[in-house]
Amino acid sequence: MRVLVVEDDPVVGPDLAQALTEAGFVVDLSRDGEDAWYRGDVEDYALAVLDLGLPKLDGLSVLKRWRAEGRDFPVLILSARSDWTEKVEGIQAGADDYVGKPFAMGELVARVRGLVRRAAGHASPLVAVGRVTLDTGRMTATVDDSPVRLSPLEYRFLDLLAHRPGRFLAATEIAEHLHGTDDAADANAIEALVLRLRRKVGPEVIESRRGFGYMIAGS
Amino acid sequence: MIRDSLRLRLLAAAAVAILAALALAGAGMGWFFERHIEQREVDALIRDGKLIASDLRVDPAGAPVADARPGDDRYGEAGSGLYWQLTSSKGSAHSDSLWDQSLPLPRGADRADWRARHAPGPFGKSLLIVERPIVPEHAAEPVLVQVATDDAPFHAARREFNREAALSLGLLWLFLLIAAYVQVTLGLRPLAAVRRQIGALRGNPAARLPDGHPREIAPLAEAINALADAREADLGRARKRAGDLAHSLKTPLAALAAQSRRAREQGADEAADGLDQALAAMRATLETELARTRAAAAREAGRSNAADIETRIESIVAVIERTEAGERLIFDVQVPENLHVPVAGDDLTELLGALIENAARHARHRVRVSGGVDQARCRLCVEDDGPGLGRESSEAVLARGSRLDEAGPGHGLGLAIVSDLMQATGGEIALGRSALGGLAASLTWTVTQQDALPRKGRLLRWLTRR
Repeated sequence: MRVLVVEDDPVVGPDLAQALTEAGFVVDLSRDGEDAWYRGDVEDYALAVLDLGLPKLDGLSVLKRWRAEGRDFPVLILSARSDWTEKVEGIQAGADDYVGKPFAMGELVARVRGLVRRAAGHASPLVAVGRVTLDTGRMTATVDDSPVRLSPLEYRFLDLLAHRPGRFLAATEIAEHLHGTDDAADANAIEALVLRLRRKVGPEVIESRRGFGYMIAGS
Repeated sequence: MIRDSLRLRLLAAAAVAILAALALAGAGMGWFFERHIEQREVDALIRDGKLIASDLRVDPAGAPVADARPGDDRYGEAGSGLYWQLTSSKGSAHSDSLWDQSLPLPRGADRADWRARHAPGPFGKSLLIVERPIVPEHAAEPVLVQVATDDAPFHAARREFNREAALSLGLLWLFLLIAAYVQVTLGLRPLAAVRRQIGALRGNPAARLPDGHPREIAPLAEAINALADAREADLGRARKRAGDLAHSLKTPLAALAAQSRRAREQGADEAADGLDQALAAMRATLETELARTRAAAAREAGRSNAADIETRIESIVAVIERTEAGERLIFDVQVPENLHVPVAGDDLTELLGALIENAARHARHRVRVSGGVDQARCRLCVEDDGPGLGRESSEAVLARGSRLDEAGPGHGLGLAIVSDLMQATGGEIALGRSALGGLAASLTWTVTQQDALPRKGRLLRWLTRR
């Protein structure tokens, strides 16, 4: 599996490449932003590890260009600035994860593996229920054909409802599926989850009936 | 002392100027007063002189004789202070009041009109003399007609006038001084306002003096604001440099960590351990410095409203939902619409980021972020349904460098950064037990009453604002 490592530091870059090679990846190492942008644009990578402070073109701009050109491989940002503002900016620019420097190599490799695994399913069987369409391979959702950014848990919740069309699912049952418990407190948490999800996909997409539970509208 | 005080300087200048003006006015009034009464006296003397001149003749020996005499009894009373005298080269005549004395004769050329002068006269008195040479009918030579009066009464009247004028002008001076004091006080009042506002500026470098100063003070306020801008910019640059320095050291630290890893691979465990320890210490120092920089900058920041707060919470949640700890959690965000907190921008992100990340690390299924406002305080609360903390660990957690959970990811300074930021923005952090079962970290700030200025009368406000 090919990954792109973009890091200009003469020690950290090769070290990262070596560690990922040892973990079983085929690694391309790029040392500046323009080169990275070009490679990401023409090659097919399973993932990119992207440093933000790069010569010629900064990492955030590289990421934005890739995303603007429809390159959707997962990107893990590696940056010296590990504050929250930067993390938020990175994720909003389309990154999938963020690791601050200095980092523990073991943790970084584990995160790379996690991202690759998550993005691996490309078979993309689609499940359409009401106005919601779920891509079960990539774990993404669209509502009325516009993509919605969901957390993994929110995705699993929609997935659960989508696979039981036409019936209301009780909060306790949902909690059991999502968390493996049927605690009353966890059932309350489901209410909070629905509240958040409705804010993202629109209030009428998820139907609820007191005493019965939740259902995707129109299923 | 006068040098030090603008008020005293202005008052002293006003006192001296008013005093000089009043003294000049007093002197002028005295002069006019004297001239006025003297003129009246001169007119009266001229009347008597004309009466004498109307029937003036010379006797056969050539000596002047006055047939018409003024009716005033004092002309007949010796040394009365009212005299007349006729003089020619052939002889003279005078009023009985002159007794055996005579009026002083003028020096210099004769004039064809009445003329007044002061001169020392008989009986040791100073006199006002009115005189004119007149040529009687059938006479060859002119006769000098002189009428005189004691001038002591005018001097007395003038002295009395001066005394009274001085008293009333002194009172006027006092009144004008009080008026000057009021004027100076009102005039300087905007400066006191500026001083108060500068005091507020010191507390918060992001604050600026408000508009609406009087035209004379406005340039000063603008200059002060420009200075504050420059200072803020300098401060910002210095902090940015410190921050950049700290950040720029992180990549070399990562490189050192790589070297340590290689050393360990080659069996040099001891060297690698030493390197790792030094790295950990350097990293902790850097994080401490960065937290301090951020906390120092936070003191200048403004406020965030409910929409800002919610946007920032959502963007943080979007990041945490992608992490291993966050992807299984339900995030419950409840921010009331009227919530404001005195922390702005990125500082709020850091504050909430650290707390939400920490909550996510310990939660079982759920993290709740909520807010509240009452009359005196505003509050943000981050809760989880994890195991929670004991009292001792709550205190330990807020101390710099300690960790909630040694095994969890993160740099362990998160809550210490929170603590610094809260201190810098005048808030308090309390760790307690949440209704969800786990830890509740609640941040509270006292609501400031910015508009609580003392009320002023309308006139005074108009005078001091203009």
